[in-house]
Amino acid sequence: MYRLPEYEYYKALSVEDAVKFLAERRDVKVLAGGTDLVLDMKTGRYRPKYVVDISGISSLKYIRDTGESLHVGALTTIQELLDSSIVAEKTPLLRLVAREFAYWQIRNMATIGGNLCNASPAADTAPPLLVYEAVVKAVSIRGERFIPITDFFLGPRQIALAPDELLVEVIVPYRKLGKAGFAYTKIGRRRGHDMSVVAVAVALKLEDGVISDVRIALNSVAPKPVRAYTVERALVGKKPTLEVFEEASKLVVKDISPITDVRAPAEYRLYLSKLLVRELLLEATKGAYRGGFE
Amino acid sequence: MIVKFKLDGKLVQVDVDPREVLLNTLRLKLRVKSVKRGCERGECGSCTVLVNGNPVLSCMVLTVQADGKEVITVEGLQGDSLFKTLVKNFAESGAVQCGFCTPGILLTAWAGIVQGRIKDVEDVKEQVANLCRCTGYVKIVEAVRKTLLEVNAGGQY
Amino acid sequence: MPVASTSYRFIGKRTPRKDAEAKVTGTLKYTNDLEVPGMLVGKIVRSPYAFADIRRIDVSEAVKMGAIVITPDDVPQRPFNPRLVSIEEVTYKDTYVLTYKPRYLGEPIAAVAAPSEELAQRAAEAIRVEFEKVHEPILDPLEAMKPGAPKIHEKIMKGGKWIDVENNIAARLDYEEGDVERGFAEADLLLERAFKTGKRYHMQLEPKAVLCVPEPGGKLTIYTTTQTIHNTRILVSQLFDIPASRINVVKVPIGGSFGSSIQTNYLVPIAVALCLKARKPIKIAYTREEDMLDHSNFVFHFKIKIGTKNDGTFTGAEFVNVLDVGAHQVQPYPLLGTSLGWFVSMYKWKNIRYRGIAVYTNKVPGCALRGYGAPEVQWAVETMVDEIAEKLGLDPIDIRLKNYVGRGDIFWGQGPTVRSVIKSDGVPELLLRGKELIGWNKRVHPDEKKGRFRRGIGVARGFHTSSAGGPISGEVIDYTGCILKLNEDGTLDYITALQDHGGGTLDAHVKIIAEELGVPPDLINLATATTENTLYDVCTHASRGTYAGGECARRAAQILKQKIFEVAVRILERVVNPDALKIRYDDELREAVVYVEGTNIKIPLREVAKTAWQRNWGTLVAAVTYRATSAPPSFTVYFVEVEVDTWTGKVRPIKVVAGADVGTPINPDMVEGQLHGGFAMAWGMAFSENTQYDPVTGEIMGRMLITDYKIPTAGDVVSPEDFIVLLASTYEPAGPFGAKGLGEAAMNPAVGAILNAVYNAIGIRFYELPVTPDKVIAALREKGGLEW
Repeated sequence: MYRLPEYEYYKALSVEDAVKFLAERRDVKVLAGGTDLVLDMKTGRYRPKYVVDISGISSLKYIRDTGESLHVGALTTIQELLDSSIVAEKTPLLRLVAREFAYWQIRNMATIGGNLCNASPAADTAPPLLVYEAVVKAVSIRGERFIPITDFFLGPRQIALAPDELLVEVIVPYRKLGKAGFAYTKIGRRRGHDMSVVAVAVALKLEDGVISDVRIALNSVAPKPVRAYTVERALVGKKPTLEVFEEASKLVVKDISPITDVRAPAEYRLYLSKLLVRELLLEATKGAYRGGFE
Repeated sequence: MIVKFKLDGKLVQVDVDPREVLLNTLRLKLRVKSVKRGCERGECGSCTVLVNGNPVLSCMVLTVQADGKEVITVEGLQGDSLFKTLVKNFAESGAVQCGFCTPGILLTAWAGIVQGRIKDVEDVKEQVANLCRCTGYVKIVEAVRKTLLEVNAGGQY
Repeated sequence: MPVASTSYRFIGKRTPRKDAEAKVTGTLKYTNDLEVPGMLVGKIVRSPYAFADIRRIDVSEAVKMGAIVITPDDVPQRPFNPRLVSIEEVTYKDTYVLTYKPRYLGEPIAAVAAPSEELAQRAAEAIRVEFEKVHEPILDPLEAMKPGAPKIHEKIMKGGKWIDVENNIAARLDYEEGDVERGFAEADLLLERAFKTGKRYHMQLEPKAVLCVPEPGGKLTIYTTTQTIHNTRILVSQLFDIPASRINVVKVPIGGSFGSSIQTNYLVPIAVALCLKARKPIKIAYTREEDMLDHSNFVFHFKIKIGTKNDGTFTGAEFVNVLDVGAHQVQPYPLLGTSLGWFVSMYKWKNIRYRGIAVYTNKVPGCALRGYGAPEVQWAVETMVDEIAEKLGLDPIDIRLKNYVGRGDIFWGQGPTVRSVIKSDGVPELLLRGKELIGWNKRVHPDEKKGRFRRGIGVARGFHTSSAGGPISGEVIDYTGCILKLNEDGTLDYITALQDHGGGTLDAHVKIIAEELGVPPDLINLATATTENTLYDVCTHASRGTYAGGECARRAAQILKQKIFEVAVRILERVVNPDALKIRYDDELREAVVYVEGTNIKIPLREVAKTAWQRNWGTLVAAVTYRATSAPPSFTVYFVEVEVDTWTGKVRPIKVVAGADVGTPINPDMVEGQLHGGFAMAWGMAFSENTQYDPVTGEIMGRMLITDYKIPTAGDVVSPEDFIVLLASTYEPAGPFGAKGLGEAAMNPAVGAILNAVYNAIGIRFYELPVTPDKVIAALREKGGLEW
């Protein structure tokens, strides 16, 4: 459990350079921040033949507001997301998540692209992006492709990218959601510096006193981060009351399949999921009443 | 591969395997022993160094990724006046027991103050997540707080 | 008769520790920072199975790679116990340097050495192991004891003789005093409870390491993470049949220990064996995972029954203690004794019956973890005392004051063979002052608490012995020694084998010497210490550093003082009797001076030293070997306020009042530091720390990554203004300047206080640790107190 596996290392100087490399080889892992990949190689989870280092591609580090949506370069670090006033203003859920993400040293290294492509069932950036219905842009020598985040996670550490594709951008279309209330919470085992036992993100919109749009996403309770569609369907058109939320949150059991692992028992995760969904719906409602965030 | 970076103010050049981790390059090739090997898994923070001013975990950085960057360890901050104040307060407040976590904590706290992220006690608890098993953190927080008071009272850095 | 610390010149003052500068500049070298030319790096090959018998180890590939390789055939065939604190008669030996019969997953079976860690790792991976048989691991001590259970060990050695192991029982200790049945018959209330702990891991920040260097002429020099250089030397000498005079163990700074290096860590004899084969220096440094495989705590299973009268007097107690030892004995037998000792010394039970059984399981060998059973015992007892007080309608503080073992009582904390009478006792002061500071009288019954967040206040009291000394010699070796030398310029060299794991004990010794001789602390050198230039010290453990080591230093200073006076008389013509002389720190001259009271005759110590040198009068030195004849308890009291989130089950600390009776506090900063650290450790013990074992494979779950072994961070503890430290104004006559130890007492009762506070918050008591959030929720649900 000490030494890194034998791999051939290639430092990509540009996106074109990287995708050309990916097209010509099999069994390649992409290195960005390293907080997942380096650990996984040390512990033997991955023994790739090639490692292509994209961390030097500065063109992949940016946060841009086009008015319609937020565009985040894949190499943007979690700390940069946390420090960004654009993110704070336009996509507050993303900021809430960044704040709970591991700890400062890790945030300085970990990237949003890496967090998504690692696709741990506990991926921190997944719930907000699922709520925002973000889209990721993937590039290969064959061209570019836009993948909705809701189609991106296929299973634990399995993503919808072809082996020769590189994730280059995350696009958060906030105009789609419009003015909504948001809420997020992550339950770990100690304050900060932890993987989630359960994390939930919620967005809720009201129109004429009833719920017009609601999105709920969770991680660590299924083989991949999920949207709680059953709960959402049960809420649309209803009044945002405690009773409604209490009934609807119980349905989350249909959308998740928590397991017992060294971190927590399944029943506790299930219980927390119901509880947090209910509570975050209440919190998001308050935000929605106050006029919501754009 | 030849990797060139600035270490504690001096330009260094090392020939490394692309599988070499910065922690080991620093400790074994460059003999910087103040950077500690505590877990090598990104959990304890003892291996913390500053890369381009930001604290990162050297056990999770491939040395090849340090090319062209500036790396700082406690050995590089000896002359810095804020660091000297911080270190004085650590030594005098009883914030140092076995000392193993100390270099990592000092670097993180120093960077936090320099970047304006640490302004009060709550900030210290938020920003400095390095593990310490001896002190229970109270005196570490105290030492940083004292440093902030001295800095705000006109100590310049 | 407490002497106010304001009357001391150096004692009780806050000063930076001597090694602070080296630590903050990162220049202090720990074992893994050491390098010597030609050094090879060693790697241990570990068993992938928890309970197996090996047929063959094929090392050919590794040898072809040029590595040095050792297997069980290349190491001494005799069993050993890595801990030499107990006398031989009660030392149980069942460990081998390398083995064909691994009994826990990760047990060392072979080792290699190569010029780099990478090459060593490759060589280790190239070793092929063929297994004869793989058994299902036994992870429950109760299962292990059942008749017909597979034997983890067949024969082991005890006191030099082979004995059969029955029912996987490693050791036993039974004890009775008085008539417990009669005591129970007299009781108005009988309370019986069962407790179980997790298997905690020390998580000292520095993983264990060793550097073994062959010197010209056949000597071996060893640098390692140890709490006892002398016992390391003796063990290596005994194991490898090398005379002790040809082994030198050097004291190296250690990055925390908490009991994990009382025993010589398993990598030391492996490194020695590699070194003897390779004839080259060998360094082995554990990865964090290997460190978790080297040592962790025992698992304690208690059944306790207490009889109490309506007025709160205890009438009898029965204590059954089943210790889950793990695969090898490091020190379960003495732990059976200390568990009993802690229990008996908490309160005056009047009649007592104890059954202690230590059982083998296929887990990482258990070893002492700060407190050596005391945190566990004191948690259990303080939980029950709280419950008893509630059931009888008595005040929790009064019932404790009524029954506790204190001043004037006989106390045997470390076990039945180590007894003494308590001379200093700050308990009432700490309980009564602490009570005010936490707002004890504002406590509300848990049933009246509502809402999501509920706060509660709890109290617990406890203690730890200062050393394992005693008036007679028993089963525990406990003595120390030191050398204090006056240098030719009036400065001092202080040479001791005692190790500072971070708590500052050596700085305390320096202050003690400074107080006796008037020489300022910065002129007293903490000398490099090795086994060849120090007197024997058993080990820095049992909170004995300041109490035993410091007293030894003080006696050495007194003897040296006398010699200084005898020499000074030769210089000061008009002084005829050395008894007329005194020594003090002169504020004007800013140095130590020898003087005659009531006159203006004085001479700087510096001059005395120089004169003795120049006139060939010889070296002024004191060498003292010292055994403490008592092990006085340092009492601690914790009042803790917590807040329970009844929705998530998470708990956070709000306020802590920690009271300590350490006699005279030599280093107040370090006293506070111990309490802060002890509280944090207790918090982890209460709520999160546990190495969990896979029931099928016997592997530590989470792949032994500390990602899943959570110790508290700065964000989990209270802010400085919410942690109040109280020091009792007591004076321990047997301690140097009235001082007692603290290292372990600082933690012992904290878990009890924390969980008593949880009870006050939500009305639920927990009898199994750690109390993870899901357990809180499950308990709330069962109680019906869950809002949701």
